[in-house]
Amino acid sequence: MSRETENVLLLLVGLCTAVILVTGTYTRYVKPSLMPWLVSAAVLLIALALSAIIRDIRANGRRGNGDDHRGSGGDGNIDCADHPHRTTVTWLLVLPIALLGFVVPPALSGRAVAPTVTEVSQEVLNRPFPPLPAGRAPEVALQEVVSRAAHDSADTLDDRLITVVGFTLKETDGIDLGRVVISCCAADGRLTRLHIRGPAVAEAERYPEETWLRVEGTVLPEPQDPSGLAIPTLTVTTLTRIDEPENPYGY
Amino acid sequence: MDRHVTVPGRTRQRRVGSLEVLIVGLVILALTDSAARTFVVSRPDLATAATVFCGVFVQALPFLALGVVISGLIAAYVSPDRMTRWLPRRTGAAILTAGAGGAALPGCECGAVPVARRLFGDGDGDGAAVDRRGAAALTFMLAAPAINPVVLVSTAVAFPGEPAMVGARFAASLLTAIIMGALWSRWGRTEWITRRLPRVHHQDGAKWTVFTEAARHDFLQAASYLVLGAATAAALNVLVPPAVFEHLAGQLLLGIITMAILAVVLALCSEADAFVAASLTMLPLLPRLVFLVVGPAVDVKLVAMQAGMFGRAFATRFAPVTFVVATVTATVVGLVFLGGAR
Repeated sequence: MSRETENVLLLLVGLCTAVILVTGTYTRYVKPSLMPWLVSAAVLLIALALSAIIRDIRANGRRGNGDDHRGSGGDGNIDCADHPHRTTVTWLLVLPIALLGFVVPPALSGRAVAPTVTEVSQEVLNRPFPPLPAGRAPEVALQEVVSRAAHDSADTLDDRLITVVGFTLKETDGIDLGRVVISCCAADGRLTRLHIRGPAVAEAERYPEETWLRVEGTVLPEPQDPSGLAIPTLTVTTLTRIDEPENPYGY
Repeated sequence: MDRHVTVPGRTRQRRVGSLEVLIVGLVILALTDSAARTFVVSRPDLATAATVFCGVFVQALPFLALGVVISGLIAAYVSPDRMTRWLPRRTGAAILTAGAGGAALPGCECGAVPVARRLFGDGDGDGAAVDRRGAAALTFMLAAPAINPVVLVSTAVAFPGEPAMVGARFAASLLTAIIMGALWSRWGRTEWITRRLPRVHHQDGAKWTVFTEAARHDFLQAASYLVLGAATAAALNVLVPPAVFEHLAGQLLLGIITMAILAVVLALCSEADAFVAASLTMLPLLPRLVFLVVGPAVDVKLVAMQAGMFGRAFATRFAPVTFVVATVTATVVGLVFLGGAR
């Protein structure tokens, strides 16, 4: 591979990173909190590529019209005599460019991640959780509902109408509302889920698998199960079909 | 690869060059992108693998960027001589210093590989100095991703009821790094390092040129191998779901071996692995500690990146030994810190 091609690949990796940031699709792969770091990485890669390209153009120009020492001094001569190169492997960078820039794979499906029912901090001892936000039906993250159902010694979920967002998972014994939780990137995605029950859920039966829903309901009070393995049940009063949220994962 | 754009007389005589191939490839991609997207989305396993690949790659990018900035700065400002002078004179002390120095690089393992490669140098100087520098660089590479404050804090957050986990992880990872550094200084050979760093002439002291060229080279090299590693991790993620391991993990010894292999296969970022380990509640703490110690030291993406930056002969020797040392060290430290198998 020529140096020019390497520079173009470097530039494209930087540009693809910029594109997934601008379009917001990066949230399918990593946590939103990584954004400032990704911005710096994109800027760095583009700058490195452009500086190499400009340096090469200048070096060529210099050679064209005599030995003209302008610019930043050193002309970036690279000594390759002692540098055995079999870097066809650099072509592999085409893969992330193709995926991030052109294909843009979807967010993880609920069926694709570890099927075990786990939630992030099972080692937490039971403790009183802070009260839920005020309002008629405050929105609570799905994994937090599971967490509170398992570990909340203050029983903040009892008799409270809450709003939960997730996608449907059709099981033999009814429909579950699921959300993939990631702690760093899509490679560590895990599924959390709630059973959703009640007459309003019949509507969800008609939707295809993994339809995104916003549901209102109350969690059925059950004895706490600190193992976190029991799936809480939400009795649903209203149910709305929604588009996939901007941040598809729970964090 | 022909990297002689600035070598006079050899520049302008190219056949169908790689640039033309790349441009044609990009045009084809641009014309078929919606078909490619439909193809990927219609196959759930492929879609998952593609998403996991993007996850690992995008997550690693900022850390790799940080790593190549540091390696570029090392190339521009820290000559091998200076590096040798900074290190303690005795190899043992140099290894300990490098291990402790690992705490200063916040980030995960991807960034540590190019930095370690620059610290390693290319065998300039006398034998003892090269040896000392090499052992220190490798110790640093293994220590940095596991014992930096960011990783330790995330471990504490993931295991709120088990503060001993943080101490055990710190001790076992640092010990693994130091043992590997010592093993390298005893048995390591510089001829296994087949990948050389390009030299940039900077008679005029153009630090900017040296910095950008080194960072550019290291990024291209490390990122290409990161692609290889991320693709392997994505394929294994689909082919070998963690549920398989959960069934295997009934006994302690089997659990330890299973978790050590799982750490290699999953190739998680060292900032995230604690959360995954915490979620595997069906296992005792000891195998999960093994998972946390092995993962940042050796996994499929790291082996690929080490092969790219240091050379294949190096990686095929270094990785298996690291795997054994990390597994054994974590088990012993776990028995001491966590009070046996709980």
